Amino acid sequence: MREPARQPRVWRRVLDAVIYAYPLILVIAVWEAVTELGYVRPLFLPSVGAVVRQFWPMLIGHQIVEPLAVSLFRAFTGLALAVVLGTGIGLAMARFASARWAFDPLVSLAFPAPKIAFVPIFVLWFGIDHLSKILLVAFTCVFPMIVATYHGASAISGIVIWSAQAMGTPEHKIMTRVMLPASLPHVINGLRVTLPVALISAFTAEMVAGGGGVGSAMMYAQRFFQTPTVFVYIIVMLLTGLLLDLGMGRLRQRFVYWEQHD
Amino acid sequence: MAITASQPMGLRRWRSSRDAIWQFLPVLLLAALWQAVSMSGLIDPDFLPGLDRILAALWEMARDGELAFNLFVTIYRSFAGLAIGTVLGVLIGLAMATSRAADGFFGPLVATTYSLPKSTLVPLFILWFGVGDITPIVTVVLACLLPVIVGTYHGIKAVPPILIWSAQAMGTPRRLILWRIKLPAALMPILTGIRIALGFSFVLTISSEMIATRVGIGKLIFMDGENGAYAYMFAGLLAVVLIAYLSDRGMVRLMRYLLRWQDSAELTADA
Repeated sequence: MREPARQPRVWRRVLDAVIYAYPLILVIAVWEAVTELGYVRPLFLPSVGAVVRQFWPMLIGHQIVEPLAVSLFRAFTGLALAVVLGTGIGLAMARFASARWAFDPLVSLAFPAPKIAFVPIFVLWFGIDHLSKILLVAFTCVFPMIVATYHGASAISGIVIWSAQAMGTPEHKIMTRVMLPASLPHVINGLRVTLPVALISAFTAEMVAGGGGVGSAMMYAQRFFQTPTVFVYIIVMLLTGLLLDLGMGRLRQRFVYWEQHD
Repeated sequence: MAITASQPMGLRRWRSSRDAIWQFLPVLLLAALWQAVSMSGLIDPDFLPGLDRILAALWEMARDGELAFNLFVTIYRSFAGLAIGTVLGVLIGLAMATSRAADGFFGPLVATTYSLPKSTLVPLFILWFGVGDITPIVTVVLACLLPVIVGTYHGIKAVPPILIWSAQAMGTPRRLILWRIKLPAALMPILTGIRIALGFSFVLTISSEMIATRVGIGKLIFMDGENGAYAYMFAGLLAVVLIAYLSDRGMVRLMRYLLRWQDSAELTADA
């Protein structure tokens, strides 16, 4: 009795997956049909097969993992800097009027600025290698982190802080022991928003300025019209973003487990 | 600082301008620090040109029309992409929110392409569309689509059914429900999506200009950097920062005006 009952459920799940993925399959099918039937030149749009075949030689030729590691190193180091600085500044802004006075106009001026336009300056100041990219990523991510932390920390009920003070928490520990944990859900949310931003800035800065990483590897391939290689890099970046977003969702569930709703 | 209506106009104006100066004092202090470091010679003044040289460069670029032309090109590309992306995004978001078939088709596509950095498509678009206006515009359209789609979709989905029922009970015809009830009720998230898209539009125009095109403020900054004309590079950058700041402020103003009938705490807190 058990078998026939389970069978439809498995089929149902497979069917659901197919129904979910059909637009993607459709896009790939149209892409393959258009290239196989010769409507476009492979230079402009290589066939799906050509892109897939390109993947393995690139993988064993150290053309995927190594540049990706460089890009991820830059993105994560920059992000870490931005998180530390942004959380600190955001908490200080919520606690001290003087910090709010000092940083508010700078944040509101710099927040909407397209940071990628600073690439030439960062290259001029910090060279073409890791440092300029890491700092550009940090510069891009620090403002959303400040805003997220500030919003979280200024929503903390005064009672929580007063209670801590009444129970003898010293002033310099209020920020680390009370305000930081209380605004952690907002910090994690900010992190979730800025993680893709960090990746995007690292990739784009590499595309603009060169100096290693997936972005500059892709521009290099494009310069020699190796379109299948360009596609492999685009897919690698797409998957990296997807996986990191997925991981971030998990991380959030684990860290802010005490927060019931979204 | 609360200003009561009983105060004379002159005092109020004096107060508000004093407040404005006080508010922007940190920016002025930063500028003064910049100038001091530059004049002290601790850092090679080529790497950190003084404000006098940057402003002189800005003035020169403004006078010979170089700045206005390149800014115009960049703004044209950003806004063209933003406009197309907004229209398409609202349409797709609406379709997804109202029809299950559209939701099933666009949903997975949106979910998979959401995390792709759109600037990575620039090398491909250079192949397809060349180095003119189309490459940046198409990139901007793609980048602007997603926040607008998401804003519209969630906005329409979140319209309280009680509003729709009331409208129906009061005799609003079916075909007008969308225009009269759903869209106005979802205006806030749609506009928030457009505001995010506005930021994206500048970033993507400037990055694709730096990668691909021949003109535009991004290209100008990049070329000045390559040629060692650093004062001009900083001047171009200053112009970009100001334009981005002003257009964001303009967007907030527009949002306030369009949503003036809504009492939303979100908007006042955010702006």
